[in-house]
Order: sequence, then C-alpha cells, then structure tokens
Amino acid sequence: MHPTRRTGLKQFLSVALLAALPASAALAQNPILIGAPLPLTGPLSPEGTKLQRGYDLWAEEVNKAGGVQVGKNKMPVKIIYYDYQSNTSRAVQLAEKLVTDDKVHFMFSPFGSGATKAASAVSERYGVPTIAPTASSVEVFDQGYKNLFGTMTPNDTLTEPMSDLVRATAPNVKRIAILARNDLYPLALGNEFEKSAKKRGFQVVYFEKYAIGTLDHASAITQIRATKPDWIIVTGYINDMILVRKQMADQGVKVPIMTMITGPSYREFIDASGPLATNVTTASWWHPAVRYTGNDVFKSSENFTKVFRAKYKEDPDYTNASGAVVGVVLQQAIESVATLDRDKVRAALASGKFQTFFAPIAFSPQGYATSYQPPIFQVQGGKPVVLFPKAIKQAEFAFGVN
Amino acid sequence: MLYLQILINGLLLGGLYSCIAVGFSLVWGVLNIINILHGSLIILGAYAAFFAYTELGIHPFAFVPLAGLLLFTIGYLLQAGLINRVMGAPVLITLTLTFGLNLMLENAMILAFKADYRTVILNPPLGMLDLGPVVLVKDRLYAMVLALVLVLLLYVLLRATRIGRAIVAVRMDRDAAALMGVNVPRIYAVTFGLGACLAGAAGSLISVIFPISPLSSIGFLGKAFVICILGGLGSVPGVMVGGLVLGVLESFGTLWLGPDYSTTIAFVLLLALLLFRPTGLMGKRGFE
Repeated sequence: MHPTRRTGLKQFLSVALLAALPASAALAQNPILIGAPLPLTGPLSPEGTKLQRGYDLWAEEVNKAGGVQVGKNKMPVKIIYYDYQSNTSRAVQLAEKLVTDDKVHFMFSPFGSGATKAASAVSERYGVPTIAPTASSVEVFDQGYKNLFGTMTPNDTLTEPMSDLVRATAPNVKRIAILARNDLYPLALGNEFEKSAKKRGFQVVYFEKYAIGTLDHASAITQIRATKPDWIIVTGYINDMILVRKQMADQGVKVPIMTMITGPSYREFIDASGPLATNVTTASWWHPAVRYTGNDVFKSSENFTKVFRAKYKEDPDYTNASGAVVGVVLQQAIESVATLDRDKVRAALASGKFQTFFAPIAFSPQGYATSYQPPIFQVQGGKPVVLFPKAIKQAEFAFGVN
Repeated sequence: MLYLQILINGLLLGGLYSCIAVGFSLVWGVLNIINILHGSLIILGAYAAFFAYTELGIHPFAFVPLAGLLLFTIGYLLQAGLINRVMGAPVLITLTLTFGLNLMLENAMILAFKADYRTVILNPPLGMLDLGPVVLVKDRLYAMVLALVLVLLLYVLLRATRIGRAIVAVRMDRDAAALMGVNVPRIYAVTFGLGACLAGAAGSLISVIFPISPLSSIGFLGKAFVICILGGLGSVPGVMVGGLVLGVLESFGTLWLGPDYSTTIAFVLLLALLLFRPTGLMGKRGFE
C-alpha cells in the first residue's frame, strides 16, 4: 500500500547488505528483474489478480528449474508488482518508477489495451522491452514503438469468426444491437463487430457506448429492447457484464444470441450470473481445451492446466494463461540471445517464433501476435464450452438467451 | 411509449438515489460534516445484506431494519467516540477525519471481502410486472417503494418526535438548543447514527440491484453529492426531489445523448445550479 516507503526500506536494506557482504556474493544472486504494474484493487481487480496468478506461476516454475538460462549461468527471475488501483494514470507513474527506481530489466504491461498504450510510452522512452499480456486492439500498436509486443491477436480475429459462425448456423438472425464500454479495447471491439456484421449483411439497429463506471443500464436496455434485435453484443469487463446481464433479465430481454466479451469465459461471471449465463457466447484467446505444445517450462496446454490446477485448485482461464505466456516468451527470447542486453532481447522478440503452451507466438512488424486463431465459446451447463475452431469443438451452438 | 418506460426507469432509479443521499444530506445539514464515509457505509450495509442472504437466507428487503440498526450503532459510536472530538474545528478537519476513516474502512473491507464484485441473486427472481407497453422490474419497484418509505420515516421522525425536534433545533442554533437543555454531543451522535442507519438500509436495498465491491463506494458518494446540491441542503423533500430529478435526467440523457453522456448531464446540471441557484432546488436553513 505504500510502495515508496517499502522501496525506501528495501533500498536501505540492500545497501546495508551490500556493505556487509563481499561484493561477489551479492552479485551471484542477482535476479532478472521484471516490472509488472497491475490493477490489484478497483474495478479491474478480478482481471489484475488473474494476471498476477499467471505471472507468479511462470516465475515459480522457472525458479524451480533453476532460473532462466543466460549463456552459461542460470538466473532466477523476480517480478516486482505495484498495484495501480485500476487507475490508468497511476499505472503510467508506476511503470516509470519501475524503470527508474527499481531498475527492472524488462516489463510486463498493465492490464488491458488502454493502460497498455498509456504505459508503453514509458517503456519506449527508456528502451525497455515490454510484453503486453492483454492488449488486443491494433490502436495500441499504431505508434511505431519498438519496445512493445502483444501476445494477443487483434480484435477482428474474435469478431470475424464469430460473425461467420452466426451467419452459418442462424440464417434468421438479421438485427444486431451493440452496447460497448467507452474504453479503448471494448470500444475498438464494438467497432470491429459492427464492421464484421455489416460486411456480412447484418443490420446494426443499435450501437451505443456506455461510460466507464456506469451503474444503471436500464434505459439503454429499454432502447435495445425497442429495436427488437436478434443478436445482442455487449463489450466491457467482467463487472460490466454481470451488471448488464442482470439488468437485461430484469427487463425480460430475450434474444436468440447474446455475445459478451469479456466475461463469460471467466468463472466469476458464471458464478455471479447463475442461470442467466446460459447460452451467452464469447470469445477469448485461450481455453484449457486448446491443444498446443511448446518448448517452454509448461511444455503443453494440458500440462499448464495441470500445474495451474495443482497450485490454485481451479481451472485456468485465458487471462491466467496470458500472464504465464508473456513470461514464457520473454524467457525464450533471453535464452536465444544468452544475454540481458535490452537491444538484443528486443531484436529476438521482434524476429522470433516462439512455440508455447498458449499458442505459437510471432509478432507482426507493429508488435502484435498474428500467429494463431482464438477460440469461440458458449456457456452451457454452467461452464464455457468451445464452439470453434472445429478441431477442438466441444458442443453445438445453442440458441435462446432468456 | 418508449418515453413512458424511460420515465419509469428514471423514477425507479431516482427513488433509490434519494435513499442513498438522504443520510448524507442529514449529516451535512445538521452536523456540517461532509461525510466521506457515507459511500463506504452504504457498501458495508450491502455486504451485510449479501451475507445475510447467502449465509442465513434472510431476504435483503427483510434485512433493511437490521442493516439500519447495525449501521446506526457503528455510526453512533464513531460520532460519540471520534468525530465529536473535532466538532468545533473547521469543516476541513472533519472532512479529513471522515476521509481517513473512509480509507481505513475501505481497506478493511478489501481485506475482509476481497475486491471482487458480488451481487445478490434472488432465487427465485422477483421477475417483472408486464403492463403491456411498459414493464416494471419488481425488485427495483419494491426497493424504490421501501426507499421512499425510509425517507418519509425520517421526515416524520424529524417533525414529530422529541429527538427529531432536538436535531432540527441543533441544526438551527446549537447554542440556543444547548440552553434549552438539549444534550448537543448526544444529538450529534444520534444524527450521525441516523445518517449511517439510512446508508445501511440503502445498502441493503441496492445489494439486490447493483453489484457491490469495497471500491464502488465512491460512485454512490458522488451521486449523494450531486443530489444534495440539486435538491438543496437542509430538507428531506429536497433530497427526494433531487434524487428523482437525477434519476429521470440520467434516464433521458441515456435516450437522447447515449449512455456515454448520462452521467455527464448530472455534473453539468450541478455546475449550472451552483452558478445560478447555489441553494439548490429546495434548499433552506434548518433541517425539516
């Protein structure tokens, strides 16, 4: 809660330690420092906590195996966390503090596209290679920055296959209503949905934004109801989704298809919404059902799920896995160049192809991943099941959200 | 018909808003304390209702009196034990004290309840009243009616009971009230307790309607501020009008300007009122 004071104490202690120990002993233990500003409290705390679990699991597994292989040495990793309380401007301040004060070697971005974009200016200024676990909007990567790499594929890789799937399985669906959170990622996603829908001849009968922190959606829902949509799309984060889903049910909104991103692929949404979650569709970048093998500490998607379950007693979701995969990619990049030199690691990230448990990761010249297809899900029987891609399909598309 | 539905949505929301704000207005009007704790007290009441429902199966609406009693006790003790010590000090001191207390309460709630959002899911759900062209969501309707009943009860209490008259007397002239034999520190504690009681009751009502988290208190505090300035400090009817006006405005704002601007309207209106009618719609000296 008092990062400054804590760091002050830490600095004091490290100075005291350095004075007490011979210099060589202190150097041998030097870990690779990674800075990670996270929203551990505030409206985005569910997401922030999930990411942290992914980071922690990766760090723990790597350190258990002796650390990251840097040339002939194995170096342990240490992640320095700060809670930015879901406040983007604080995330930027803390990113700066991590670089200048804590002297981290590398960084993981804060949560979500908006905060990632804001904090990316800091890593660019100081030349710190930074991997973003949860930034999927291409708008984040349009600044020509050299230090930002995102492991998620762009938003249209969610909206295009989803629209195709609806077109193919529900030919009667024509009218679409979109309600998007006015925030970088959710709004960009809403815009992509509109594009994908129009391209396929759907009619977009409602498209509105809601402000961050909106508590009451009743009037927007009344309007949506009046437009008689066949497919309702809502974008935002877990808490928005819980709220909107409940208020839709309050007004007796019934539609053949309801898509909510993000939210339904998380246990928290299903727990909080109960039966209201049934048949809600969503898409995300990873799911325990995917089957990839990697040459990383986790080795495969299945094994990652197993290790995660052993530590946290629950199934991982895509945000947990996103937290772990940024660590995996960074580790592979460092090991490939056998140094912590930022320029060399940056070059390795830009040109590398990384086989991971999450998916094969390779970055476009702009910095986002383009190397895999995210799955589409639907909540059936109280859990998310995969509808697409066909190779890992678990159930048929079910219609009717009541 | 759309307009009618939007109006109804707004009134239902507005009733709740009144209830959220009335305790805040009472404390501000009588004690001249800007109670930054108010939002967190609402959330505390909501958590109490949440656990009463999930652990003991007590319906949140039935829990309203208990939540009120619990929060009254907490509020009374806070005022009697802590805030009364700085009552003579400038308003900034009491503001700072409640601000600090709010940080403590907020963090204690994060520790105890985690920052996850929770919501009471009634089983079976209350459903809705389908009147053809318009629908009334039952949980909101009941919550709004209960909220207005609570506000009315406060009104009656202040007008018709000895303790209520003592509160109003202290608000009008503290020294004169003391000369008439009113135990001023005790009245302060009772008033703060009442404010907290209403916060707790409001929390119990909103637990059915909005998801809650320790960090969502600031949203409710913001609404309470706007409503108090809209309606004017120092009157229960003012708070009622302020709440209803805000609810209706937000609803129509959503319709006309899109949901993105609905909350902006409230603050634009707040600025306009502060410029042209700083006493609010129904503000006056003395609490009635």
